[in-house]
Amino acid sequence: MKRLLSLLPAISSVLLLSVLAYGSSRPRYGGTVRILLHDRVMSIDPLSEEDHPAERDRLAALTFETLTTTDPAGRVRPNLASFWRPDPTKRTWQFQLHIAYFHDGTLLTAADVMASLAKSNPGWKYSAPDRQTVVIETPTPTQHMPELLAMPRYSIVKRQVDSAGATTLIGTGPYKLSQWQAGERAQFSVNDDYRNGRGFPDTVEFQMGVSLREQLLDRQLGPNAAAEVPVDQLRPLEQTNQALAVSRPADLLAIAFLQGDSSSRPGRKPVDPRVREALSLTLRRADISNALLQRKGVPASGLLPQWLTGYEFMFPAATDLQRARDIRADAAAYVVIAPIMLAYDASDPLLRQIAERIAVDAREAGIVVQPYGEAHVNSKTARASINADAVLLRLPLESVEPSVALAQRAEDLGLGDNVPAILGATRPEDLFEDERKLLENHRVIPVAHLPQAVWLNNTVHNWQQLPTGEWQLDQLWVEGAR
Amino acid sequence: MLKTVISPGLCAILLCILSGSLTAQQTEQPLPGVAGEFVQQILSRSGSPTSVSVSFQNVSSLPADSQETVQNAIFNAFRGANVRLVKPEQAQAEVQIAFSEDWQGYVWLATVQQGTSSQVVIRRIARRQQVASSRAPSLTIRKTAVWQQDLQILDFFQDNQNLLLLETGQVSLYANDSGQWRPRQTLGIPHQLPWPRDLRGKLEVHSGHIDVFLPGTRCSGSISPPSLECRESDDPWPVDSGLVAFFSPRRNFFSGLLAGQSAGATVVPFFSGAAWQNSDQRMWLFTGTDGRARLFQNDLGTPVALYTSWGSAVAAVHSNCGSGWQLLTTAPTDTVRPDSVQAIEIAGREALPVSAPVDLSGAIEALWTAGNNQVVNGVMQSQVTGKYEAFTLTVTCNQ
Repeated sequence: MKRLLSLLPAISSVLLLSVLAYGSSRPRYGGTVRILLHDRVMSIDPLSEEDHPAERDRLAALTFETLTTTDPAGRVRPNLASFWRPDPTKRTWQFQLHIAYFHDGTLLTAADVMASLAKSNPGWKYSAPDRQTVVIETPTPTQHMPELLAMPRYSIVKRQVDSAGATTLIGTGPYKLSQWQAGERAQFSVNDDYRNGRGFPDTVEFQMGVSLREQLLDRQLGPNAAAEVPVDQLRPLEQTNQALAVSRPADLLAIAFLQGDSSSRPGRKPVDPRVREALSLTLRRADISNALLQRKGVPASGLLPQWLTGYEFMFPAATDLQRARDIRADAAAYVVIAPIMLAYDASDPLLRQIAERIAVDAREAGIVVQPYGEAHVNSKTARASINADAVLLRLPLESVEPSVALAQRAEDLGLGDNVPAILGATRPEDLFEDERKLLENHRVIPVAHLPQAVWLNNTVHNWQQLPTGEWQLDQLWVEGAR
Repeated sequence: MLKTVISPGLCAILLCILSGSLTAQQTEQPLPGVAGEFVQQILSRSGSPTSVSVSFQNVSSLPADSQETVQNAIFNAFRGANVRLVKPEQAQAEVQIAFSEDWQGYVWLATVQQGTSSQVVIRRIARRQQVASSRAPSLTIRKTAVWQQDLQILDFFQDNQNLLLLETGQVSLYANDSGQWRPRQTLGIPHQLPWPRDLRGKLEVHSGHIDVFLPGTRCSGSISPPSLECRESDDPWPVDSGLVAFFSPRRNFFSGLLAGQSAGATVVPFFSGAAWQNSDQRMWLFTGTDGRARLFQNDLGTPVALYTSWGSAVAAVHSNCGSGWQLLTTAPTDTVRPDSVQAIEIAGREALPVSAPVDLSGAIEALWTAGNNQVVNGVMQSQVTGKYEAFTLTVTCNQ
């Protein structure tokens, strides 16, 4: 068959090089989609504490659905909810449910939605005027509730506990989990009765903890439909014209200090805010983005990327060694400056390189940073027991609505006190001010924004990657099946 | 060729800017109005100073000439508000304006400095989409918009008096009221099982009689009085003139078993088909589910030609150009990406492009030859608006 190499135009966020083997556009049914994941997922529960929540969400999205969803252009769309309306204060939101069925054949009701959402956010009040209507009441105004509920953590999950105490998770989505080996492999089978029509592939399989480099060396990618690609492995794939879907630089790479200034957390003392500021001034963010991230990342000065807000450039990020030395010297006059223990995800060699680079930069201002690898740094629970001053975190972007995205980032960084104000922001200026406040005491030092990337086989069609890097596989189909 | 392009500096040049919330419906607003509102926001935050200094910074893709136009509009807005533009040392407030952008549009930021206090004003401005045109080789495809809506449209019919939309689960009737389509009636299509994903349907209207074909379902009724009765059915669907075929009840393709004049004949399963008479030759073309288009001449036994790199939708159209018959076909792109339509003529066994592709803002959902074979009805979902758009395509000869 004639192969047509085509460079397809970008759809908002996606840079896609696609080699089309088929002359067709209409989806075809059948077949198995095999996807390689770089990291390991231990549970598909959207509320589980995972080291790699973005990958957990990729699996969970096949089985569990949210009330609303976001399309690639950033528009919020009905999903399990058919429509919604807020009261004038934006504190009370009413959602009308579609007729939908769980995989066990039971009808989705308002009670199911309330039970699920109460697990996701116990701080809200829920009521059900009838079987198909859910009312959510929040303590403070929430301007973008539909966008908030599109986040995976608000997936509607029916949790059934059996007599042995084991919990079974049941969803309403287009695929059912049919085989599961935690951290190794997951297989999903198509839900023939899905309300929006059965998905095109019969089966979707995930293989976890797979090194793309090894697969490429072994030339074993052929049977696979897609594989996650670490940022530092993108360039060789681009040079060989492989089909790649690369998101916008959405993930945040940041140094997060674990102790607040008035922290009562046992263990290490808080790092002096002047030292944190001095450390920020030592960072050569452009060098990190250009060299270590091979120009696939962009320097970060804010928690949200410039492409999302348009105002990130207003936050300072310039390297100023002299000022860093002055500030450090000022701090040293009042406090003993101990070495900063900086933990990073031990399974990620790229993070190790960046942490080491941060230590080298800091040394120029007389600040000692000692990087070391930790097995679990990404989950909040795990971080609570880490004996480090700071962690180098990579945080996914969970929404293209800036207020929702900022609120989630604040929560991920342990700065959740600011969330109600952020979600209540009515003007972009308010959000800018909220973000400025989150950054002003240097508890979080942004380093870079990174894209998420996936290699795609020529046989894969309709792969959609949102600007955030999230996958939308509802229209996915593969060649070789009917 | 019609081409949709995004021109970063276009808004300013044309003095025609779309403004408003990024997620809300965009409304057009001229540049002076946008600049005026921006300046009013700045003044209200800064206690209405009578003199300001203004400086600009451009961190966006806004070209220099467009930037100048915008700057002038902002200067005029200050002057129009009776605010004097002075040097920083004489100003009651220093205003630093930055032209930035996010993934959906421009962002104007003003930092207002008054003594030690500082305020930030932010205004988002959506980019405008421009429709441009370019030449076509031998004939031109003309696209005419008929209707757009949020609800999915599967097929449609229109004449002078009526517009009928086949939607998921219903047929919507509209009546012509002084050139405007007014809602008249909605006729439900009861259905027990979920519809297949990539749902397809065909709507036929003849002399006021309605026929609806959906996977596993057939409906009949009338426009006046409005009525529709549906039943489970595997009846074959009309595909094109004299071409009738069975549609898979739980999928998105024709099974390949033909009916009507060609009853008993079988071709490979296909998404779309066209039939036409070329001189004394009877021609058929099917876009197979295997990604190949097959051309048949006079008999349906063996294809005389195979084409790759065609899209899955095809419709024959009769015109006064070339051989008199052209095929309009979609591009072999994924359905999550913008599509295009191109006219092709079959000369012997060769498929020759005879028009430039018409670029669309979304994927084609349906393409059917309509009425007297001189029009093709199309439906697409725009990736710009998210709406479903019904339109007609006709071909005109170039001079």
